[in-house]
Amino acid sequence: MIKSLLYNEFIKVLNKKRTYIGFILILVFVPIIVLSIGNGAGYLENKIYGQLRDSFIVFGSLTNGYLATYLIIAILIGQMPFLATIVASEIVSGEYSKGTFRMYLSRPVSRNLILISKLIIVNIYTIIIMFFFIFYTLFVSIVFLGKGDLAVFHMGLLFLGEGDILWRFFLAFNISTLVMITISNLCFMLSTFFKNSVTPIIITISAVFIGTAISFIPLKIFESLNPYLFTGYIDLFLTAFYDPVPWYLIRNAVMVCSLWSIVFIGFSFYHFSKKEILE
Amino acid sequence: MKTSKKTLLSISGLTKKYNQTKALENISFDIPNKSIFALLGPNGSGKSTIIKILSRLTTDWTGDIFHNGQSIKLSNNYLKDFGFIIEEPCFYEYLSARDNLKILSRLTNTPFERIEIVLELVDLIHRGNDKVGNYSYGMKQRLGIAQALLHDPKILVLDEPNNGLDPIGINQMADLIFRLNNNGKTILLSTHSLIEVDRLCSHVAILRDGNLLIEKEMKINTDNKFFRVEVGDSREAISFLKKIDYINIIATEKNILILSQDLTKSSTDLQKEIRKNKNIKSIHQESDLIKYFYD
Repeated sequence: MIKSLLYNEFIKVLNKKRTYIGFILILVFVPIIVLSIGNGAGYLENKIYGQLRDSFIVFGSLTNGYLATYLIIAILIGQMPFLATIVASEIVSGEYSKGTFRMYLSRPVSRNLILISKLIIVNIYTIIIMFFFIFYTLFVSIVFLGKGDLAVFHMGLLFLGEGDILWRFFLAFNISTLVMITISNLCFMLSTFFKNSVTPIIITISAVFIGTAISFIPLKIFESLNPYLFTGYIDLFLTAFYDPVPWYLIRNAVMVCSLWSIVFIGFSFYHFSKKEILE
Repeated sequence: MKTSKKTLLSISGLTKKYNQTKALENISFDIPNKSIFALLGPNGSGKSTIIKILSRLTTDWTGDIFHNGQSIKLSNNYLKDFGFIIEEPCFYEYLSARDNLKILSRLTNTPFERIEIVLELVDLIHRGNDKVGNYSYGMKQRLGIAQALLHDPKILVLDEPNNGLDPIGINQMADLIFRLNNNGKTILLSTHSLIEVDRLCSHVAILRDGNLLIEKEMKINTDNKFFRVEVGDSREAISFLKKIDYINIIATEKNILILSQDLTKSSTDLQKEIRKNKNIKSIHQESDLIKYFYD
């Protein structure tokens, strides 16, 4: 039965226009940003590495596809919750508001199975959009700006050799997807509570903003709270480019995000199994 | 739970509260096999609540419902015998009618060939590939029937099936209901129209404010005469009145009984007969039964 339910959800998601909004935005804007980085390479290098030129002689350009990808991910990762939750926000609430649950839930199928199928689709969508975001950016950046060493700031300036970079992007993808899945699961939970798809997105994004703000405000209470909040790990993908990679931080992130996901999913199932479909 | 072979669905002590408001209070009645059974009552009387409980859209309720003698609380497998149209028909508007029906077929392992059969039945076979978003209300209502019949259920539950339909649509709906009933399907429909009940149904349960007014299932003929009888002890009065063969007790409410009388007898005969019982305090003819139930 779960196969049929998954297929149904797959068909529904594929036929909705909103599913493609995130992909279209990434598809259109990433090349523009990459080209802009390419055109403004000199200015960008002066800004980023300006002071270093006083101490080092730099031959050639530091701007390449890897650096562009690194910068684009760092800049846009904060906006990705908007795109990653597009499907999650609507997948349950949309059926409440359109009244289709009256037809769908009055069949001899368990509500839990229906919710599992929706949850799987939400998580698959989140993985796909994150994969598309990171590797499409990498692809376009390499096509336009070529390859080379990646210079990042970590305890000073760290140069990562060309052969040492690609796996780090895979690791960055895994870390950022883990956090984004947690955010999607929060939005999914809210979707089981509300009858419109806007409220879950607004609450989710607000939670992410507040959580991110907490991680930046240097107050003792926030500092002690931050390791237990999934929002504190949104920029953790940057650690994939540290040398050595701080695996203990990634392990913490996996534990914290998984726990939050379990809580969100648990609430979703509890609420949905008791939910009265009155409209 | 023992139920007669003729009883398909038995509702027993059904009670439902929304916060502090009682939507249904201790409702009990049986739905016979192959009947056209009407739930009649004004808006807010509890008709849709019963249907939502049956369809598992409402989860928190007390009492029990037995389908073929088995409590529906035990499993949702009974739903394979039910087809529902609850309130206005809602579909995935961005999909075609065929794709909507395919989605529902997968939930009951119904072969896709049934899709063509039901689309033919509701006369949408040539519009099956159109997006439902482009359908008129009447077409959606017909597609609603198609989805309810898709898995060939034994019981068809229709919530206000004539809502929003024009007179032609209402006639088509009535024809379809009769046809399906003749083919052996039990029909449970909710309505606020006594005329509709009179035209379509073999059995009726009348609800008001979540209470069941009717005493037993029967056919209401709007041409009959109706009487409102005030009694002292309603049990004793009912047992007395049951002995009179040309009347039917169609509703009881505290110490008020509603009787219907066959047109072949005169009202004076009934009044004479009734006044023999000292437990009966007064009897008045009700000119407008609908008004009585809805006021």
